[in-house]
Amino acid sequence: MKRFETTCALDDVDLVVEEGEIRGLLGPNGAGKTTLLRILFGLVRPDAGSVELFDRAAAAPGPVLEGVAGFIEAPSFYPYLSGRVNLELLAELDGEGAGARIDQALERVGLGTRGGDRVNGYSSGMRQRLGIAASLLRAPRLLLLDEPTAGLDPGGVREMGALVRELSADGVAVVLSSHQIAEVEDACDSFTVLRRGVVVWNGTAAQLRAQAPASSYGVLTSDDERALEIAAGRSGIRAAPLRNGGLALTAEKDCLDPFVLALGKADVAIRRLELLVSPLESMFFTLTSETEVDVTEPSMMAERMFART
Amino acid sequence: MSVTGASVRNVYRVERRKLSSQLGIRLLALVCLLAPFVFGAILKIQSGSPTDTLYGVWVHSSGFALSLVVLAFAGSWGLPLVVGITAGDIFSAEDRYGTWKLVLTRSCTRRDVFLGKLLAAATFSIGLLGLTAVSSVVAGALLVGDASLVSLSGTLIAPGSSLGLVLVSWLLCVPPALAFASLGVLLSIATRNGILGVVGPGVAALAMQLLLLVGSGIWMHMLLVDSAFDGWHALFSGHPFYGAIVVGIIVSIVWTLACVGLAWLMLRKRDFAGTPVARRQGWVMPFRVALALTAVIAVLAIAGNWGPVGITAARLKASLVPTFNSLTLLQQRELGRSVAPGAKLDIVLPTCSRRGSAPTGPGDWVCTLNVVTPVQGSSQPPEPTPIAYDVSVNSDGCYKAQSPPAFIGQQLMRDAQGQNVVNPLYTIYGCFNTI
Repeated sequence: MKRFETTCALDDVDLVVEEGEIRGLLGPNGAGKTTLLRILFGLVRPDAGSVELFDRAAAAPGPVLEGVAGFIEAPSFYPYLSGRVNLELLAELDGEGAGARIDQALERVGLGTRGGDRVNGYSSGMRQRLGIAASLLRAPRLLLLDEPTAGLDPGGVREMGALVRELSADGVAVVLSSHQIAEVEDACDSFTVLRRGVVVWNGTAAQLRAQAPASSYGVLTSDDERALEIAAGRSGIRAAPLRNGGLALTAEKDCLDPFVLALGKADVAIRRLELLVSPLESMFFTLTSETEVDVTEPSMMAERMFART
Repeated sequence: MSVTGASVRNVYRVERRKLSSQLGIRLLALVCLLAPFVFGAILKIQSGSPTDTLYGVWVHSSGFALSLVVLAFAGSWGLPLVVGITAGDIFSAEDRYGTWKLVLTRSCTRRDVFLGKLLAAATFSIGLLGLTAVSSVVAGALLVGDASLVSLSGTLIAPGSSLGLVLVSWLLCVPPALAFASLGVLLSIATRNGILGVVGPGVAALAMQLLLLVGSGIWMHMLLVDSAFDGWHALFSGHPFYGAIVVGIIVSIVWTLACVGLAWLMLRKRDFAGTPVARRQGWVMPFRVALALTAVIAVLAIAGNWGPVGITAARLKASLVPTFNSLTLLQQRELGRSVAPGAKLDIVLPTCSRRGSAPTGPGDWVCTLNVVTPVQGSSQPPEPTPIAYDVSVNSDGCYKAQSPPAFIGQQLMRDAQGQNVVNPLYTIYGCFNTI
């Protein structure tokens, strides 16, 4: 357990990650994800309880256990030194063997040719990748990555996902902490969802998808009123008009395609169809929202979507 | 948790590399290397000399005096500033760059990191001190020469002994330098503010310098670690006294242990649970520290009279009279006059009185030496000639005495070979034991 003044940041969390598994650690800001990782790294002492990794106790303030690596929040480096020199210093701290892995680590994260540049000239994505390279120096069996996609553009998010999948293919267990499920849902095999320091859901990606409610879409048609009439008569489809035109649509699995075909047959053209909230996001909102959210209410989901953008 | 020597060594190597990569540290090393040469060259070009500083009047006569003047300046504010730059940001830099989490998620304990950084700060502090010492000795030898040094009792010290004493003097500055480095480390950890860590030791040294001017008691003065920088003065007395040196070393060790211990307690208990450094930067923390410092200085100023009085008229007279005697003999020899070994001036009823309300303590004094000089070819009994010296006495018992040139002559005089040399009686430096 960890408390910050009167707030309980973490309580009785049990996280199991298998070899080669990528587990998403999800939750809104303040759910306790980063606190959990800090405790696992020995940066913060739990107020009660103990931490065990690979059947060994980890204690703060103590060294990070062998085989465990990663970073908390955005990885920071000495800006006046090059990426390579930063890694050399970290390898020195890690002791024997780590220094020999520098070239390989830089190549693996795609910084082979930029390793000699000073870190203050690196982009956010390059710093994130250097953070992964720094972790690889420890030849990790467990990689703990806190918000690894924060500040990355869509291309960077994809590259990060591919890199993490490569590592898991080598047998590394990975914990990806994020408050943006959309950015990690494709990469993760399983999820643990935290809310106010407590685990509220734990399971595989398949289980989460199976329990997830309907997806939510935004639809812009040539005749929104007609489209509403068609939707009203179909099962598994719920539609509501949006303030600035178009419809917010909730479609259960396998119900969207017949609805689209029905619109075509009724001479209603679809000018735009956009996934607003994926099933996993819907589930995430349900599990982590502070207030009751009816994820099946299309306009509410659309409002949430617009609020996010 | 046991400390692993290998891990401490690894951290030490990393910190050493980081420090030596920093432009500020490289520039500082360059300053330490070149400053004595620049200082010596400027003095050589100018005709004046820094007479207010111990041995200042001798900088054109002996290269060792140049090194000692550099040491005196360094002890006043230079070394606290230098060690502040090396040690005062070694921990707070991790806050500034946000790299604590990077360092503490490797294979070393928090204690390893603390000890490794501490060792690196100490190494660089001592290294820069050593660099300044060697540079000042070499600069003195090259620019001025290796003539004998005049002791603080007015006798000559052979060049070999002078070199040894100068090197020991620099060595005696290591303990107080480490104490100030520890203060920098403490400020660096406590405030997480690099500015305070770097400037703090220098400001503390200046505050201590001011406190040394206040009060006449010896206890508070001895507890101020800055006074340990002056311990070397005792070595240059005709009859060296070691009490002040021992006290200075002990005080420095206590300061070092206290600062390091407190710093470790703070770092050990710290939760690295976020990035509060952004909130802590700015002027709020420096303002609070300045306020606390002011309160501490006020309390210490009040405590300035604590303990027995170290500076008294009797002690000053007992030091000044034999020093004046020795320097007069030295002057006469340099003028080519025959002086019998062990000759003594006839000085009757010397008096010393302190200017101001208090009769004792550091500050400005007036000493009158009534020298009885026989008048050649006269049957009249010899009359004593009063020579009044204005004496400026420091809290450590060292003083500078100057007199109008009517009796003692100008600052420079022509020696037996017709060369301009320093008149030994023009400015008299001396020291006596205050403990």
